[in-house]
Amino acid sequence: MKNILKKEIRELFRDKKSLMMMLIIPFMIPLLVLGLSALYESELNLDNLKYNRIGFTYKLTKAEEEIAKRVGIDAHVASLDKIKEMYENDELDLYVTKTNNKYTINGVNNEAMLYAKSLVDSYFTLYAEFLQTEYLEEYNVPTDSFNQIIQVEENISDSENFFASYIVNYAFLFIIMAITVSATYPATDATAGEKERGTLETLLTFPIKSKDIIIGKFLSVSISSIITGVISLILVYFSLILAGNIFSIYENVNMVLSIESIIFSLVVILAYSFLISGICIAIASCSKSFKEAQSALTPITFLSFFPGFIAFMVNLKSSSLISLIPFINYSLIFKDISEGVINYLDIFLMLASTIFFISIVLMIVIKEYKSEKILFTN
Amino acid sequence: MLKVEHLEKRFKRTIKDNKKEEFLADNDISFVANDGEIIGILGPNGAGKTTLLRMIVGILEPSSGLVEFDSKSYKDDEISIKKNLAFLSGNTKLYNSISPYELLEMCAKFYGVKKDLIASRINEIAEILEMKNFLYSRIENLSTGETQRVNIARCLIHDPKYYILDEATSGLDIISSQIIIDFIKKEKERGKTILYSTHYMEEAENICDRVIMLNKGQIIEEGTPISIKEKTMTNNLREAFFKLMEGK
Repeated sequence: MKNILKKEIRELFRDKKSLMMMLIIPFMIPLLVLGLSALYESELNLDNLKYNRIGFTYKLTKAEEEIAKRVGIDAHVASLDKIKEMYENDELDLYVTKTNNKYTINGVNNEAMLYAKSLVDSYFTLYAEFLQTEYLEEYNVPTDSFNQIIQVEENISDSENFFASYIVNYAFLFIIMAITVSATYPATDATAGEKERGTLETLLTFPIKSKDIIIGKFLSVSISSIITGVISLILVYFSLILAGNIFSIYENVNMVLSIESIIFSLVVILAYSFLISGICIAIASCSKSFKEAQSALTPITFLSFFPGFIAFMVNLKSSSLISLIPFINYSLIFKDISEGVINYLDIFLMLASTIFFISIVLMIVIKEYKSEKILFTN
Repeated sequence: MLKVEHLEKRFKRTIKDNKKEEFLADNDISFVANDGEIIGILGPNGAGKTTLLRMIVGILEPSSGLVEFDSKSYKDDEISIKKNLAFLSGNTKLYNSISPYELLEMCAKFYGVKKDLIASRINEIAEILEMKNFLYSRIENLSTGETQRVNIARCLIHDPKYYILDEATSGLDIISSQIIIDFIKKEKERGKTILYSTHYMEEAENICDRVIMLNKGQIIEEGTPISIKEKTMTNNLREAFFKLMEGK
């Protein structure tokens, strides 16, 4: 078995395609983390800055001008016709008309209007407060007690940062995808590829037990997947730190993974790498050719990614039962780890389930290799 | 001694309307190959030669019958039988991304050659087969003749008792074929038992002690080339084969 493993690893590291598959997805992780962070941040900044051009068809008082400035409104004052023309030429996002004490917000329902209207709403809330204060002061009523009739404070903890949670989850899902992609190519090459090249017949004439052939191949594919997983984790670690330093959306959020998170992430990477390698070897062994094996393994790439993605979208929580279900368990444990939650029972059940499924998969493949069908599928 | 008794192999094939039918690729094959003998397995394409040899080397399981090497069958001890075998076929492919040295080293380890003997054994074989010039080049960069020499070296590395050669010269040029023929002759001199399948009758006539003629999965004649020619009153094995076919 040691000799088979040595042979497979030598072939793996001499094959440019296998090496490329091992590294291509991990090196996309920094791009994903930084790219998505930049996108979130630009979206957040757009809300306040881009849709603030508001037209007024009446002259603003000094107080009104000050309030408009305070909420970030870029005020344009002109006649109704001029304001309408500016709005039609897309020079304004909204405009306000006034008849006596009645103000009307005018515009067409679209994304720009929604953002601009939130600014105008804030403006009128503040303006109404200003007028109330002015009125009360006129009648010598102390305004402080009125203004502090309710108090609102913000108590949003750092760990609840929506963007940070999103980005870390996506990064972990990408690790799973990277491991899957890394396993498919060497698994195909070591089984269907060897059959197609005609070297499997030679291999089967050697005095080696089929069990040793399979375990050697399985371990070499697992090593490839583990290398990819570890590289991915390292890149996730540094990408998150970099994103935390660059983007203001992660302000006051700790983007550094703890030692405990890293250790348990490695445990998940090991478990997933072994399982996906076994599955890929089993599927590719049944294929007649390299091409057929590749077609058969394509759905696996999606299958590995989607349960975790859907679980994340519907906010599925990990449980003892789910920890036994392959694919979904790895994603949910990763999700827990990213949130700083280490559930030892779930991790133990995930490991037990992985060992169980790997044993079944390997038993099937070893049986296949004992049969002549493995060589003569036709 | 290699003993083959009542060996049969059934396969299923697809016929009209996607229906399956069973057919016998090899039917009741029995023979004995004594130590130091070259046995030729002759027959046209589809006669059942490759299936027979694949059953003998243990990569196909017989539907019935027995294969024994020195009174041991695969069920008794597959690993020790395979340690004494070398299989070379026209289809045998090598690992392209490694060098002949690495391949031979790997094969030696598979066959359990002692670690401290591997390097000297490889050098000895490389000397005999004149492989020194390309011993460390990648196999994918070698010519057909050089690749064939590597293939032979692979068979020699563990100094097996039995050589099973299936159409080993098929598709090779005259020089590459001669390398194989010379190798067979040398190994016979060293007392090795060789099973040699071919559809080149003249080649077999020159090197085989005995031949077994196969057609449609059955033995149609067995004996020394001289005895078969005498029996069929022909000048060569090609004519003898056609005569035997007519008789059937």
